[in-house]
Amino acid sequence: MKHKHIQHLYRRMGFGILPDNLEKLSKLKRKEVVNTLFKASKNTTLLELDTSELKRLMGDSYISAKPNIQKIQKLSRLSTQKLNHAWIERLTNPKELVREKMTLFWANHFVCEDNNFLYTQNFHNTLRKHALGNFRDFVVAVSKQAAMTKYLNTKQNKKEKPNENFARELMELFTLGVGHYTEQDIKESAKAFTGYSHNMQGDFVFRRRVHHQGQKTFFGKTGNFNGDDIIDIILEQKRCAEFICEKIYRYFVNDTLNNSHVQAMIEVFYKNYNIEQLMHFVCSSNWFYNEENIGTKIKSPIEFLVGIKTIVPVAFKNKRQLLNLQRLLGQILLDPPNVAGWKGGQNWIDSNTITLRLKLPSLLLNSSYISNSRTEETDDQIEEKKQFFKRNYGRRFNVESNWNYFNQQFRNVNMNELDSHILACNMSQVARGYLNTLEKVSKQEYCIQLMSLPEYQMC
Amino acid sequence: MDRRKFLKQSSLASSLFFVPSFVKAFENVASSSLGYKRLVIIQLSGGNDGLNTVVPFQNDIYYKERASLSIAKSDVLKLTDDLGLHPSLAPLNRLYDQGYLTIINNVGYPNPNRSHFRSMDIWQTAADSNEYSQSGWIGRYIDYYGETPYSAIQIDESLSLAMKGETKNGIATQDAQTLFNLSRDPYFKNLQQHQNDTHLSEHNLGYLYKSMIEAHTSAKYIYETSKTVSSQKEYPNNKFGKQLKTTAQFINSHLNTKVYYASLNGFDTHVNQGPTQKRLLNQYAKGIETFVQDLKAGGTFDDTLILTFSEFGRRVKQNASSGTDHGTANNLFIIGNQLKKPGIYNKLASLDSLDSNGDLKFEIDFRTIYATVLKKWLEVNDKKILNKSFKQLNFI
Repeated sequence: MKHKHIQHLYRRMGFGILPDNLEKLSKLKRKEVVNTLFKASKNTTLLELDTSELKRLMGDSYISAKPNIQKIQKLSRLSTQKLNHAWIERLTNPKELVREKMTLFWANHFVCEDNNFLYTQNFHNTLRKHALGNFRDFVVAVSKQAAMTKYLNTKQNKKEKPNENFARELMELFTLGVGHYTEQDIKESAKAFTGYSHNMQGDFVFRRRVHHQGQKTFFGKTGNFNGDDIIDIILEQKRCAEFICEKIYRYFVNDTLNNSHVQAMIEVFYKNYNIEQLMHFVCSSNWFYNEENIGTKIKSPIEFLVGIKTIVPVAFKNKRQLLNLQRLLGQILLDPPNVAGWKGGQNWIDSNTITLRLKLPSLLLNSSYISNSRTEETDDQIEEKKQFFKRNYGRRFNVESNWNYFNQQFRNVNMNELDSHILACNMSQVARGYLNTLEKVSKQEYCIQLMSLPEYQMC
Repeated sequence: MDRRKFLKQSSLASSLFFVPSFVKAFENVASSSLGYKRLVIIQLSGGNDGLNTVVPFQNDIYYKERASLSIAKSDVLKLTDDLGLHPSLAPLNRLYDQGYLTIINNVGYPNPNRSHFRSMDIWQTAADSNEYSQSGWIGRYIDYYGETPYSAIQIDESLSLAMKGETKNGIATQDAQTLFNLSRDPYFKNLQQHQNDTHLSEHNLGYLYKSMIEAHTSAKYIYETSKTVSSQKEYPNNKFGKQLKTTAQFINSHLNTKVYYASLNGFDTHVNQGPTQKRLLNQYAKGIETFVQDLKAGGTFDDTLILTFSEFGRRVKQNASSGTDHGTANNLFIIGNQLKKPGIYNKLASLDSLDSNGDLKFEIDFRTIYATVLKKWLEVNDKKILNKSFKQLNFI
């Protein structure tokens, strides 16, 4: 398989690929590369922090939890921050690469957050478990997660007083998209989700007494449907497969839909809603490797950050700084803006985020220094600038970067090949022209220069 | 040519010869229009307790439900026969006396949400409570009417949803220098030279280059324009005071910015509300009074309208921890000297007809206030921005 295509595959289904692995895979055929990639994600390694203390504080009922409520909230906040950090580490060193990338994708599809960490973590791992599984099972599992019943108020959905929030978002955001159902469909399906609740530990509890037992008419069918039935009826709509395929195409292939490619995906997905088969199909298709799909997407903040860490390992000594950095870049894991999630694409970019993104590689990896530019600064001026940034940003980015790792990994890469490893797209003429005027002192410094280009934002 | 104009033109001219056409158009805007009306939005985050801010000091229910939290009648700064301000709002009281303050009571929205995140989200996006939007109301204002990212500035490190549009965004900066410093590497300057329009129109990569140039030009413009002005007023020494000082500096230097966004956090007073709210309201009022004086000295107060809101009010009945829980409708302040109805705009809702949670019923949809400000103050099509037609109110 061609270098360029392997890199593309790994940038989209992961966060990049290092030279040794690239070299190894280039001996194989595409089919073998793709099979190997998916085989590595057969297992699920959950991401779990110890919750015993939290469970102890919560006990088994609301009554036992009540006196500890503030401790529970505080511990939850701290643990959620830890999980955020652990998740980023996981993304940087994943065993199951595709599963992890898909988990990140689904976290912006089945968007949810909660102030109880136990429920947050359960929900998070539900995404991981089902990331490559069957979409029907996935939706059912999500509908019964404690965090979700809280987030979209299914818990408050009772036969005397229906709450339509979950039913509406289930169709609008999770399965069909706006305009593909009626207000009546929402009313009727909300009845089917009455009685959903959870116990203290976060297990699903069905409260029969508040469940609406009776006929519901939904998408032309009438019956005493429960929540699972409603999900089945939704998935019978081909629109559901279309909605998910479009979203996957936009995320993994191209912001702009190509109808025939999406149609081909729908045919695969609608058969049995198997996510792994769908993704395998995408990665095996010739069109996935078309020129217009390579290096043409804008990285999400997490893809950007994890991408840097993949090439040059960076450890944040202060976890709060990593969190703050995510905030400045516009994407805090486990803290979505609302159930609609992050808009993505060009929406990641505003004046503040582009300015920070361009400056970040040098801030994290090289005391903010990018290059000895044409303006011919003296060493004193350079030193003064470094000191300035150390004063103003040094404390905010208390990090340790491992350039030895980079030098080791890229030992067989020539200076003039480095750009093809670091950048996903071709360099613009201006950028190439300018970089050619700069002295190439070391691979390390050239790497910083490449990472400081707008081109580095592409994947 | 006056000094200001000269400075502006010379600072822009230095960068004009190499820039692509879109930036030229963008910079021309900057030097053309001055003296427009502007809006300052102050967000009180956490849910400020409106009932202890504007106190119904003749109301028995208020004193009954707030046994230890109520503000004694003798301490209230009386505005009318039945409403008065929290004692730490004396500076606000002075603005009131000068006819610069309108208090709008019972502001909220149908089917209120009592989660901070969600309710703030609703206020920032101006969506219905069962609708989720990925763009904010100021963001959409910029989409349609903003010529540059600095058409709306948030005095913060990053943008909140309110400032993000469908296709354009505002800009966030804590002060004039931080963003400028971050952008000021010769490496970037060199990358921006010789860019041509064809490259910049490339889908995503072109967009990134364009955003970089726009951002760096904006940061430079904000820095170079505002550095000519500094405030003579003593602001309270806290984060909020600093934000207002920066805002006044930007306004008084006549930055071509229509909307400013600042915030004061910490109003989530579930426990021992008294001292916390007192401190925060004091910060708010002192800051605002200084801000108004600063704008007056700069001759910009006439053209500035200040809107203060919080995502919700708090429950009428206090809780067991000498605090209050999340509520619904709340009061909202409009400050300026072009007010049609200075004073109390409408009566406080009845405390004996609460909703099933024991919260005030809302009377005025906050989006009617947005609609009014957009149409009558910023003179734009409010319906386009709010995606819906709302009634116009009569406070400006």
